[in-house]
Amino acid sequence: MSGRLAFSAAVGESALKIEELAKRYPTGVEALRGVSLAIEPGELFGLLGPNGAGKSTLIHCATGLAQPTGGGIRVFGHDAIGAYGEARQAVGLAPQEPNLDWFLTVEETLDYHAGYFGMPKRERRERTRELLETFSLTEKADERTRTLSGGMKRRLILARAMMHRPRLLILDEPTAGVDVELRLELWHYVQRINQEGTTILLTTHYIEEAEQLCDRIAFIAEGRIVGEGTSAELAARYGVASLEDAYLALVGRKELSRSHIEVTAS
Amino acid sequence: MSAAQIRFATLWRREVNRFMKIKKQTIGAPLLETFLYISVFGAALGSRVGALHGIEYVVFVVPGLIMMAFSINSFANNSSSILQQKFQGAIQDQLSSPASPLELLLAFSLGGFMRGLLVAGLTFVAASLLVDLPVDHILVLVPSLFLVGFFFSQLGVLIGVRAEQFDDVAFAQTFVLQPLIFLGGVFYSATLLPEPFETLTHFNPIYYMINLVRYGFVGFSEASIALSLLALFAATAVLFAVNLRLFARGYKLRA
Repeated sequence: MSGRLAFSAAVGESALKIEELAKRYPTGVEALRGVSLAIEPGELFGLLGPNGAGKSTLIHCATGLAQPTGGGIRVFGHDAIGAYGEARQAVGLAPQEPNLDWFLTVEETLDYHAGYFGMPKRERRERTRELLETFSLTEKADERTRTLSGGMKRRLILARAMMHRPRLLILDEPTAGVDVELRLELWHYVQRINQEGTTILLTTHYIEEAEQLCDRIAFIAEGRIVGEGTSAELAARYGVASLEDAYLALVGRKELSRSHIEVTAS
Repeated sequence: MSAAQIRFATLWRREVNRFMKIKKQTIGAPLLETFLYISVFGAALGSRVGALHGIEYVVFVVPGLIMMAFSINSFANNSSSILQQKFQGAIQDQLSSPASPLELLLAFSLGGFMRGLLVAGLTFVAASLLVDLPVDHILVLVPSLFLVGFFFSQLGVLIGVRAEQFDDVAFAQTFVLQPLIFLGGVFYSATLLPEPFETLTHFNPIYYMINLVRYGFVGFSEASIALSLLALFAATAVLFAVNLRLFARGYKLRA
């Protein structure tokens, strides 16, 4: 791949290390313009940005669903673009859009996914049972995925991403469009597996979600990382009181700040 | 089993499972269609036509029907399976796994091949019950059918990968594949056609496939067996190489 950086074996073992990642689509759109990012093992890392900022493209590049036009990606030290076998084995992806196969049942969805990752039959069966239970899907095990409600599909997508016990879990807006109850349920699960050692990359539009869950957060805009740090660090960088205000400063909509609105109202 | 073997078996199993879940459409309908062809062209018209090249008409037709069943089902399975999965986004689950382009291509190919084999096998069994169907050259028949199935599996993969809507698949099947098969001599001998149609038939690749299969069953062919086999093998290999390149590049599969 032209323009890709040649990574040496001496690169550190970040859970996800992205260097100078570029993605230009055939239409000419530059979705990523030299993104560099490192997520350390055990972190719960948030990626925030407006629609079209490059969040999903970055995730797709890390999981093989998009082909970068420049730069490099390593997952726990393994190249994720060239000889991607080890890197892919370490990653679980819960995409933004429910991408379930309508022909499969809930149980088959989990079983096949684990099979793609080389998990033996007995282990697949046990893991499927465990995750069906965890995500309250046991009663739906034999139902085809197209009959599930939106919330059930979300649960299944997350369960599927976890099936092969990934060391790095990538959640692309996992709580978009779900009710409060399920959102809180998913938050608890995400926090639990993070505490158990799974590194998590989370993209979200919900500032409070990022604030509550993430150790560190990066802002992405127009294909570039424009800010990175803890919630407090980002607020300080933009000279504002909260992460939400920092985000509004990033997208140039300071007038929407709650403090601004409250002051105006009074 | 190694992790790679489990992965490949799962990819392949998914494809077989898909068409078995809708077997009324994927197995039943093609079988009924073939049975109707045998009934109409064999029983109804066959008695009027008599024999072609010394072979009873219905026996002359059946090898072509078996080849047609194998080819159309191999093609239809792969083209629709890939397009459907692209459409649903479900293919992302396979594409983001550690599976190599070769594993993915082989699994998709074998799915269609298995459906073609199943329908062709059942057609053979049903035809054998209805007519006295010989198998004169099994050593030609088996590799010929294998290559026909694999060729059309590859063609189905190619169309499925390139297609952006179901219309694209329907166009390839209805306006390209079926006319080529029908005009390739399934129901007649090319020698019966007036010029220039007889000569034109020789430019139809399906004509050679039908002749290979017909030779395997009844020992009659209008084309060179060795050359036809060689050409079919070469065409299948080229198509496989093209598909492998598309999968490696992620053409219309990865953004």
